[in-house]
Order: sequence, then C-alpha cells, then structure tokens
Amino acid sequence: MIRHARRKISVLVAAALLALSVAACGDGDDDSSTQELKPGQKVTLEFWSWVPGIDKAVDLWNSENPDVQVKLSTITVGTSGGYAKMYSALEAGNAPDLAQVEYQELPSFLLADGVEEITQYGASDDADKFVDWQWEQVSFGDEVYAIPQASGPMAMFYRQDLFDKWGIEPPTTWTEYEAAAREIREHGAYIGTFPPGNSAWFTALAWQAGARWFGTDGDDWTVDIDNEATRKVAEFWQRLIDEDLVKTEPDFANGWYKDLQEGQIVGWVSAQWGDAILRGNAPKTAGNWRVAPMPQWDDASEFASANWGGSSTALLKGADYPEEALDFAVWLNTDLEAVDLLIQGGYGWPAASDAFSGSVLDRADPFFGGQRYNEVFADADEHIDKSWQWIPTTSQTYEHLNDGFQAAIEGDGTFVDAVEQAQGLTIDDLEKKGLPVAGE
Amino acid sequence: MRRHDARTAAGFLAPFGILFALFFLLPIVYAIYQSLFTIERTGALGLGGEEQVFAGFDNYVDALQEPGFVDSLGRVVVFAAIQVPVMIVFALVLALLLETASARGVPFFRTAYFLPFGVPGVIASILWGFLYVPGVSPIVGALDQVGIHVDFLGGDTVLLSIVNIVTWEFVGYNMLVLVAQLQSIDPNLYEAARVDGASGWHIVRHIKLPMVRPAIVLTTVFTIIGTLQLFAEPLILKPVSTSISSHYTPNMAAYNEAFSNNNYHLAAAEAVLLALVAMVLSFGFLRLIGRGGDRR
Repeated sequence: MIRHARRKISVLVAAALLALSVAACGDGDDDSSTQELKPGQKVTLEFWSWVPGIDKAVDLWNSENPDVQVKLSTITVGTSGGYAKMYSALEAGNAPDLAQVEYQELPSFLLADGVEEITQYGASDDADKFVDWQWEQVSFGDEVYAIPQASGPMAMFYRQDLFDKWGIEPPTTWTEYEAAAREIREHGAYIGTFPPGNSAWFTALAWQAGARWFGTDGDDWTVDIDNEATRKVAEFWQRLIDEDLVKTEPDFANGWYKDLQEGQIVGWVSAQWGDAILRGNAPKTAGNWRVAPMPQWDDASEFASANWGGSSTALLKGADYPEEALDFAVWLNTDLEAVDLLIQGGYGWPAASDAFSGSVLDRADPFFGGQRYNEVFADADEHIDKSWQWIPTTSQTYEHLNDGFQAAIEGDGTFVDAVEQAQGLTIDDLEKKGLPVAGE
Repeated sequence: MRRHDARTAAGFLAPFGILFALFFLLPIVYAIYQSLFTIERTGALGLGGEEQVFAGFDNYVDALQEPGFVDSLGRVVVFAAIQVPVMIVFALVLALLLETASARGVPFFRTAYFLPFGVPGVIASILWGFLYVPGVSPIVGALDQVGIHVDFLGGDTVLLSIVNIVTWEFVGYNMLVLVAQLQSIDPNLYEAARVDGASGWHIVRHIKLPMVRPAIVLTTVFTIIGTLQLFAEPLILKPVSTSISSHYTPNMAAYNEAFSNNNYHLAAAEAVLLALVAMVLSFGFLRLIGRGGDRR
C-alpha cells in the first residue's frame, strides 16, 4: 500500500505545486500586453479541441496560412476533464490561445475570467455570418466572448429494420413512444436508455417541453429548474424506468455501444452529431437506421425540438495574438471547405448561417438507408426555443441532477425529488460563488 | 573534526531536506493558506471582478456542511473497514503459504502475486472495468448463462468491486513486506518448537504471527492511508457505473471542487480535512496497537 499512498501524495503535491507556480505567475501575467505582428513575422497559435476531424480543417488552414500556424492539441471532451485541464492551465498562466468551449460552459469561463472579450478585436463584424440564436449563446451584455461553432438540434434515431419486423411505427408523440417502448420490450429489446449520469440529455428534453431553467432579471440570475414542464419530463421517465421500458445504463459507454451493435437498444433520441457516434460505434448496423422527428408532448401547441450540445471556439485569456486567433476562429467556423471537413468529422450542426443546403449534410446517406436524414434536423433546428440561457455553475447543476437520478434509480427518492433538490442546490451554488440570485 | 562531521552530515541530508521542503512541506503550507481565503465578486451578475479575501474557517464550515463531502468521508471509512481486513488477512495468508516448508514453485507464485503491483492503478481500473460491464464482460456473461444475474457496478456492489481492484493491485506488495519479515525469523525457533511438539498451526500462531507483528502494523497503516485517498479507481469506473457520483470519495470531491467548479479554496479545505482524518485514523490505530501490546 505504500506506493499507493505515495503515489496519491505525489499527485496532490504536484497539484499543490501547480497552484504555487500559479500564484507566482498570476501577478505578472495580467499586464502582458498583446503583441503587434511585424511584417514577415511568423506566429504559432495553440488550439485545444476534442472535435473529431478538426485536425483536417487545421491542416487546411496551415497550408493556406504559412505565417499564422495553428498547433492543435487533442484533449479529452470538456466535461470529461478537458475543462479541468483548461482551468488549471489558465490558473498556471500557460493556457492555449484558442480552445473548444461548449455554450453551457461559457458563463463559467467568463466568471473565471478565462476568455477574452473579442468585441474589441472586431468580432461583431462577423455576427451576420452566424445563426442568430447561436450568436446569442456567445454574447453576454453588449460583448461577444467566443465564435459559435456548432449546435445539436435533436430528433430520433431508430432501427427501421427492427421496427418494421415488429410492426412498430416510429412514435410521433411521447405517449406513442411509451407504447412503442412497451411493444419493443415484448421482443426483448429496449427503445433506449435513460442515462442517469448524463443530465445534459435530460436538460435538452426539459428544454423541448418548454422549461426555461435559467435567466437574468436585471443584475440577478434567475433559477427555475423545478417547474411544471421539467416535472412532466421527470415523471415520464420515472414511469418508463419503473416499468422497465427503458434501460438505465450510461450512454457513450461500452455496454451501451454493445447494445446498439446487437440491436438490444433500437432507438436514440439524440442530437444531429449522434450520427457520427452511431457510424463509429455500430458500423455493422449501416443501412438500418433512420431518423424521425423528436416525439412531441400531447399538450404542445406547436412542433418543438431542442438542442443538445453546442460549441464555440473561444480565445482564452492571455492569447498573445488575438487578432490572428480571431481570424482563425471565424475562418474555421464559416469557411465552406473547413465547415465541410468538420461536418464529415461529425462536429454537429453548423453555426454558420446557410451552411446546410449544398453542403455534405444535404445529401442521401447510405448509413441511413439513403434517407436525406439531415432534412429532419434542418427542420428541428427551425423549431428550437432560442431564448435558453446558461448560468456560470451549469456543470454543478448537471452533477446535482446526476446524483438525484442515480439515487432515484437505486430506489432512494424519485426523479421529481431530484429536480426539486437541483433547484435549491443550484441557488446555493450561485450564492456560494458570490452571485446574486433573484428572489433569494 | 566535529564540525567537519556535522558538515558532512548536512551535505548528505541536504538533497533530501531540500526536496522534502520543496515538494512536501511547502505545498502543505500553501494548501492550508489557500483554505483560509475565499473569492468575493462584484459588479453586475458577479462578472465585474473578483478579489481574494481572508475567510477564516468559513471554507471548513462550508465543506462540513456539504452533504456530498460528508457522505464521501463516511463512504471511505466504510470502504476502509472492509478493505483493511481483507487486504491484511489475504496478504498474510499468501505470505504464510509461500513460507510453508512444503510450498512448491515459490519464486513463480511470489512473482505472479506481485505482478499486478506493476500495473498502474488507472490501467488496472480500465482492465477491471471491462470485466465488470455487462455485455462486454465474459464473467458477467458466463454467470448469466448459469442463471446468476449480477451487476458489479450497481449501488450495492460497486464499492466491493473497487475493493476487489485495490486488493488485486496491492495484496502482492503487502505480501512481500510480510514475506521479508517472515524470512528474517531464525529457523532455529521452528526447530525448537517442533522438538517441543508444536504443530504447524502452533508455529504460525505462536511464532510467526507475533514475529511479523511490526510488518502487519506497517502494512495496516499504509492500507488505511491508501484507502482514504481512494481516487483513480472510482474516477475511472465513473463513466461505466451509474452509482459513482462526482464526489464519491473525498479526493474526488476536492478534485471536482477545484477543477470543475473552480473553487480552489474550498478544495484546499477539503484536502486538509481529509489529511486530518487520515492522521487521526492512522495514529489512532497505532495507539490502539500500542496499548494492546502493553497489556500482553
């Protein structure tokens, strides 16, 4: 056990030392002024991202811009440790110039003073190149803090071969979804999984149901997680789980991939970027998948989809060549060739306006049996409530929901309890950060 | 001559002393310092700016009021209560078996038992993760075939699954410490005992066990400290288990607080609290043992 103990100690020591070096450089770094490029000077920008295929777009830029080279480092997905890496690098004063930051994490970066305000470098000039609501996701007050990259309009992937074999129609409402789930169980399979450790997915479903969890009221943040729409979603999934109509295994994990490969799970309500996940992890099911619009709530007045995931390219604090970095960020997310490369990697739905028609998205796909499946997502993208906002402690809210859902699945409380608790705990989180919360 | 000796001694001690101060004492002092401060924010929505202010013991109060953190402390204490006896008894049994007179293939088995220690904890956890996940694991598959349905990653079982990984990793090492002590026992003692009519069990009970007592105490203290610092194993299993939260153990809670929530000050307080608990338990165990020794 000695090595065990020692190794842990050394990790902590390393962490503490890191923090020390942070304290040492913290003061000096603040006034590091940005540098003007001299003619003929070559610069190298560092860029951290986890988006598959982004290396090809970076290569393209590097071949076209010999003076401004971008050095890409592939890091783990933000919520799995990538953000932790960025925050520590920021604390240590050696952050990269550019980084992948999801919309829901951006307010946390603002609060940690981790991103550059880029309006000062003329970012607003590029606003009309992007879809409105995604531009809103990177704007706070009058300033812009990142360049939008992609979003995740949602629909339902399903195994048409098995649905046909069992005589089941793809559900158009959540009531039909429940009925279909029941029929699929009779054939020993499941319609999907409820991932108790991935509350971003649950959040998107609440978004579709009409919930607005976060907002601002004057100078105060507002929190409204525990509302009727969210409770409706929570009760729905609670019932499906209680009756064993859906699995409760984690998504994006080996067991789940195996279930997808073997037809044990035959559907997935997911974002557009889910296509790359299916292609990559269940290649032998090619040709059997189709995409249908997201099931609707019976009492919904009009068709609604939601957004799951969504990312931006941000300039991290202390970027040495902000203007060049901004040029790259805008190019990466608007240049048609670059966007096509990103789409092929499966980065999601382009934030650049008019990037759909004529792109590689806009064609029949053999994996989906020749369906022009992205038309479903294009329509979904038109029907997302665009006023959704995030708070600086969103990741903590996810953790609270994860904890509550996991406890409920273990038989301790219900999903509605989890939602109720998340409401109170989220207000605590904001207040602990010293942030004002309306009505508290 | 005296002064020369002292200087030589200092010279030999300096490399250790400097590194010890730099990489051990200084970070601890810095963590304690960090834990006494907090961030105050100003401006609209709190995005206006921030200032580090002295907070006294506020972070400690916050940490102890955090249900997740308190739960995690309770969890590792339960974990230690299972892990420590399992580890020590298992290591002891293996060591005694290897040291019996009739043992065959000792070098092979000693190496085989010790081998997992050479596998880093992260790799070991990934490896065992594959053996735990239903649908992928041959063990779960085989048990399913004979009608036993077991979920190694469920709420009731995942802690035991982690006990299994940690035991697999470190039992060989602890065994080796015990073997070393067993080998230092004078064989004449066994001979004398046998002449007096002692059975194999008597020799174990009255000679071997008392003689390896110091090694047992040592491995127990290391195991207590190691279990309280549980980190890599649950962190690696987290994506495949629905029963491991982000603050499953105190180390994970502190890690999460520091690097996901950007609250380095609260994280420092949690780390200091964990160190205190580890200290209390380790020294508590040593006192307990010491007293038992006096009575004998």
